[in-house]
Amino acid sequence: MKKLLSLEKIKALSYPAFKTLMIIHFLLFFIVVLAVSQIHFSIPGFSVKGLYQFPNIWEYFPWVASWFNIFLAIVLITLVGNEFSFKTFRQNVIDGLSRNDLIKGKLILIFTIAIYTFLMVLIAILIFGVVFTKDYSLNLIFENSYLILIYFVQAIGYMTLGLLFAILFRNNALAIILFLIYFPVESILRLFFKAEYRPYFPLKIISNLTPKPEFLTIASEKSFTNADGVSSLDFSEMGILPKDLPLGITLIMATGYIGFFIALATFLLNRRSL
Amino acid sequence: METVLQINNLSKNYGNLQAVKDVSFNVNKGDVYGILGPNGSGKTTTLAVVLGILNANGGNYQWFDEPFSKLARRRIGSLIETPNFYPYLSLWENLQIVAKIKDAPEKDINHALGVSNLLKRKHTNFGHLSLGMKQRMSMAAVLIGNPEVLVLDEPTNGLDPEGFAEVRNIIQSQAKEGKTIILASHVLDEVEKVCSHVAILKSGELIANGRVGELLSTDETVYIRSERMGELSQAIKDSNIAKNVFADDEDLAVILNTDLTSSDLNKFCFEKGFSLSKILVKKQSLEDQFLQLVK
Repeated sequence: MKKLLSLEKIKALSYPAFKTLMIIHFLLFFIVVLAVSQIHFSIPGFSVKGLYQFPNIWEYFPWVASWFNIFLAIVLITLVGNEFSFKTFRQNVIDGLSRNDLIKGKLILIFTIAIYTFLMVLIAILIFGVVFTKDYSLNLIFENSYLILIYFVQAIGYMTLGLLFAILFRNNALAIILFLIYFPVESILRLFFKAEYRPYFPLKIISNLTPKPEFLTIASEKSFTNADGVSSLDFSEMGILPKDLPLGITLIMATGYIGFFIALATFLLNRRSL
Repeated sequence: METVLQINNLSKNYGNLQAVKDVSFNVNKGDVYGILGPNGSGKTTTLAVVLGILNANGGNYQWFDEPFSKLARRRIGSLIETPNFYPYLSLWENLQIVAKIKDAPEKDINHALGVSNLLKRKHTNFGHLSLGMKQRMSMAAVLIGNPEVLVLDEPTNGLDPEGFAEVRNIIQSQAKEGKTIILASHVLDEVEKVCSHVAILKSGELIANGRVGELLSTDETVYIRSERMGELSQAIKDSNIAKNVFADDEDLAVILNTDLTSSDLNKFCFEKGFSLSKILVKKQSLEDQFLQLVK
């Protein structure tokens, strides 16, 4: 494990494109959350500040960061694709790594990048939350904090899907293009299935790990919740948007899909010549 | 004799193309074993299969009398086809990766760079090297971890005469240290000068294997001409002076037995009453021998 981590460290940290892409990822996230925090609605009774206050921020920041998880998947595809382009996977095997070691190394890399993005979002939440929340207590701060762990799983989900695409197509450009095309393709595919089956598709499951916050309810300075605590501005409740699966089931299914992506990537790497 | 590599009926297909057909041979400890063949004869494919990069379609192989394992890999230093390293990493960083994989100490890196004459370039990115330097870098990577066996596929590819000689010297010095070397090449001169044994492949099939001296001998051929060629040919065949006699255009080509010279042949012809109008001695080139084998 330690050896594979140190190998991935040399390969990734010395790669100029990796460093650039990670800096862009970091900047993009902070630019978006900073920019939105400066927006002032002219609609009376609504303020964007609510998104930045505990506990809503635990929902909002992972949702924003989730868009950039696609970016992390592309970073991962680039790193794995390079191994095929430079034929270095082949050289690593010649030098003494097994094919399973190659997969383990990339999983360690995925886990490390996921920890980085997890910490980035966590630190941002704590800083922005403390700045924007007037009266806070420990209970209020950590209410809904589990959502960031789910965000961590989502980051791993997107990157393992990226790993599968990279191993399947063995070419950076092709794998990235097909990975990006897969998003609209799956959305279209879902339309051919009955409504009850649609939430079970892999990308739908993974993206639903960080569901879109109820912006109107959060941004509203008045309460729009009914006696059961359900938001009266919830479009799913109104029947305008389809209902998603409960978060627990989504998490279990996402973990299953991650396992499937890893197993398929391992199978392909072992089966095919390097 | 300890067997380092045992290949049994190995086959590998690329779609409908059978790149390696039922190939079997053994490499013993201390051998400098050449795999010789024209381009496309299956040399690289054979090595790539036994190094676990390609999956075989038939047959099997063993390293050190055991199925190929992670531990066995670390006892082997290999260079297959083109040098494969990270172009954005320096030579030092690339070799650091190799050393970590092989669990070799970092001091090996400097030693390997020194042997390959690349020590001054250790902070240069691999992508900035010339082809010859890249090839020497591959040799450096092969030497990391002081492997018992070196598997080298066309190690002098793309090298200028100086680089060619440097790599050959490295191979010869490693052979002198008692290492087993498996060298695939289509350069006959390289095989002749370096190898003790050779396997010759043609269109994926093993057509001959054995000691270099036996397979690719450079015996003298004496070309003679006489008015009574048929009788002369028969007289030589009936005697014990020649290994082989055959017609070559208007001449008779005679490959004499060891220790006999053209003077002995001339004397023999005179004693048997044949007057020769031509006697010409030519050393048969390795290339002629090789071409005869793969024809």
